[in-house]
Amino acid sequence: MNKKWMSITVSLVLVFTLLATACSNKEKNSGGSTAKEGGKGEQVTITHYTIDSPDRTFVEKLIPDFEAKHPNIKVKVTKAPYEQFDSKLQSSIAAKNAPDVTSHWGYGGFMEYYNKEMLLDLTPYLDGFSGSDYNIPEDVMNIYKVDGKTYGIPLNSYVTVMLYNKDLFDKAGLSYPPTDYEDKSWTFDKMVEYAQKMTVDSKNLEEAQYGVDFGFGERDQRPQYFGAHVYSDDTWSNGGKPSEINLTKLEVVDAYKTIYGLIYDKKISPTPAFSQTVSGQYGDPFLSGKIGMSVVGSWSLAAAADFSFNVGVAAVPYNPNGDVRSVLYVDPLFVLKDSKHPKEAMEWIKYLITTEIQEKSIELSGGNPPVNQAAAEKYYNNFEGIEPKGIQQVFDGAYKYGFESYNHLISNYSQINELFINELAGVENGDKQVENVLPDIEKKLKDLLARVNK
Amino acid sequence: MREAALKESANEVRRMRKWKLSQIIGFVILLLVTITMLSPVWFMVTTSLKTTKEMLVFPPTLIPKVFAWGNFSELFTNTDIKFGQQYRNSLIVSIFTVIGTIISSSFVAFGFARYQARSSSFLFMLVLSTLMLPYPAIMIPQFLLFMNLGLHDSLLPLILPSFFGSAYMIFLLKQFFSTLPDELYNAGRIDGCSEFRLYWNLTLPLAGPALATVAIFSFIWSWNDLLTPVLYLDSQENFTLPVGMAAMLSSKFRLAPWNLLMAASILSVLPIMLLFAVAQKRFVEGIVLTGIK
Repeated sequence: MNKKWMSITVSLVLVFTLLATACSNKEKNSGGSTAKEGGKGEQVTITHYTIDSPDRTFVEKLIPDFEAKHPNIKVKVTKAPYEQFDSKLQSSIAAKNAPDVTSHWGYGGFMEYYNKEMLLDLTPYLDGFSGSDYNIPEDVMNIYKVDGKTYGIPLNSYVTVMLYNKDLFDKAGLSYPPTDYEDKSWTFDKMVEYAQKMTVDSKNLEEAQYGVDFGFGERDQRPQYFGAHVYSDDTWSNGGKPSEINLTKLEVVDAYKTIYGLIYDKKISPTPAFSQTVSGQYGDPFLSGKIGMSVVGSWSLAAAADFSFNVGVAAVPYNPNGDVRSVLYVDPLFVLKDSKHPKEAMEWIKYLITTEIQEKSIELSGGNPPVNQAAAEKYYNNFEGIEPKGIQQVFDGAYKYGFESYNHLISNYSQINELFINELAGVENGDKQVENVLPDIEKKLKDLLARVNK
Repeated sequence: MREAALKESANEVRRMRKWKLSQIIGFVILLLVTITMLSPVWFMVTTSLKTTKEMLVFPPTLIPKVFAWGNFSELFTNTDIKFGQQYRNSLIVSIFTVIGTIISSSFVAFGFARYQARSSSFLFMLVLSTLMLPYPAIMIPQFLLFMNLGLHDSLLPLILPSFFGSAYMIFLLKQFFSTLPDELYNAGRIDGCSEFRLYWNLTLPLAGPALATVAIFSFIWSWNDLLTPVLYLDSQENFTLPVGMAAMLSSKFRLAPWNLLMAASILSVLPIMLLFAVAQKRFVEGIVLTGIK
C-alpha cells in the first residue's frame, strides 16, 4: 500500500515536471513586441490586443494576407473577455509586456488612456498619412487629436439609431417612423404619442409591452438630447476635465425629469425590473419583442437577423430644444507608449482602414460599421430585411447631428459612469425623485473630479 | 381493561394520522423548496436545448418546441469556441492544483499540528494573515515574477502557486490533524516510524475526510477561477473554460448565445458533480470534523 502511494506520487511529480518543462519551453516572448534576426533584415512581431468576441477577433483571419504583404512584420492577437479587458491591459503595462495596438474596448475611454499617459503620439509616424486617403472625414480624424497631436486612428464608427418593432407598429395601426433626419414632423412628442398607443402597462408580464426604450448615450449624456449639458463646454478642449458641473441647472433637471417621466409619469417605457425580467441583467429588452421603439447604439443592428420579429430602423426624433440627436461611438486604434515597433504598428493600422479590408471586415465581423466611407455602401447592404437606403439615410443624419460619446472624451470616465449608474438607480427604480438626487450626484461628482483630476 | 386498550390503540391511530398529516405538509414544503432550487437548473437544461429564435421568446417556453441537440456538438465543432481544448486545459489545471494543494498544505499543516516550536503560533498567525491579502494586491507582483521566469502564457502560473501551500487549506488540515491522539504517534515512534512516516503512513490515511474536503474546495476554486487565467494566458490554445465561457458573453454587438452558454455550463458542472458524488460522504464528515464550512 505504502509503496503504491509512493510510486503514484513519484509518477505524478515526474509527469508534472515533464509538463512544466513542456509548457515553459514554448515561445517565451508571447506578449509585447519582439524582434529576431531573420535571413533578410529584422523581423518584428507586434501584438494586437482585443476583446475575445467574434466581431473583434476576426482580425486573426486578416493576418496571413497582411504578413504576406509585409514579410518583416508578424502580428499576434491577444484577447480577453470584455469584463476583464482593462485588468489584463493594466497588468500587461505594469509588467512591461504591453501590447502594441489596441483600443478602448473595455470600460475606460480615450481620455482616460491619454491622461494615464498610456498612448503614443502617432504624429511622427504619420508621414504622408492623410485621413482623406482612407476616406475618413476630417472631423472624425480630429476626435482623437489633442493639441494638434494624433493619438488614435479611427477604425469603426457606430451611431445611435432608433430600432422599431414593425409587428407592434402594424398591430397598433401606426405608420413607420421616417429615416430622414430633416423630416421635422418626427418629433420627441410624436414619438411619445406613438409609444402611448403601443403601451400595455400591465402587471401581467405576458400582456405588458412598452412603447419606447430611450437609451440615448450614457446617463450623463442623455440631457444633451434636450439641449441641456451636464458638463461645462471647456471639457472638450482641456483634456476631458470639466471645470463646472451643471446637474442642478433647471434645464438639466427638466431633461432628467422628462427622461425618467417616460417610465413613471407617462408609463410608456419599461422599468429596470421589467427589462431585467424579460432580458436578463445586461440584455436589451427590445429583443423580447415587447418594446415598440428603442433608441440604441447601432451595434444592435448586427443582431437584426436573429430577432424573432420584423425590425426597422429610423431617425432619432427631432427635438426643438436640442441639436444633438445621435451619440457617435468612433472606435479608434491606439499604439501604446511602450511599443517598441510603432512604425510597424502603424503599418498594421493603415492596412486595417484600407477600403478593401474595411469591406472585408464588415463581412467577417458580422456588421462592424467601417470608418472608411468608401466601404460604407457595403455596410448599408449588410442587413437582411432592412432597406439599405434607409440605413444610409439614418447614418448620414446621425453623423450630421451627432456628438462623440462622452466616455471617449472625458477623463476617468469609468468612475464617473459608475457614480451616475449607482446614484440614479433609485430614480430608475422609482424610489427617489430626480430633483432630490441630482444635487447629491453633483456634490459627489465634484469630489470625485477634484480627487482624480488633481 | 379492554376499553382502555381500545382507547389507547385509537389514540395511536390518531397520533399516526396526525403524524402523517405533518409529514404530508413537510413533504409539500420540501417539494416546493426543491422545485424552487431546481428551477434555475431546469432553465439551464431547457435553454441549452433551444434554438436561437426560441431562446428569445418571452415568456420563455418551459419545454423546447424543437430539441436542438446540435448545440452540444456545436461546442466541439465550432472552431471559434474551442470548447474541447478549454475543457482539457481546465482539467489539467484543476487536477494538478488539487495535487499541489494536498501535498503542500498537508505537509505544512502536519508541522503546525504536531510540533511545538517557540514561535510556532506566531508563524501560524503569519500564515493565516496571508488570507487577508486580496488577490488584486498580489496580482501584479506575481505576474512580474512569472513573466521573469518565462512562464507567461502557459498553464504553469495557474498551477505552481498551489505547490506552495494555501493558508485556508493549511488551517483546515491543521484543525483536523490536531484532533488525532498523541498516543497514536507515540505508538508509531515506539515501532520505529520516522517523522516522515508518521506523516505519510499514519496521518494521511486517517485524514481522508479532511483531504476530500481540501480536494473538493481546491478543485472548485481552480475550476471556476477566471481572473488568473485571463491575466496569464494569451494564446487561445491555452484558455481555460471560464475564459472561453466569459468570451461568449463578451460581445455587446450581437446576441449572447445563451443556448450554447447553457450547454457549456451543463458540461462544465459535470466534473464538480462527479467529484462531489464520489467524495460526498467524506466531504460531509470533513466539514463536521473540522468545523469548517
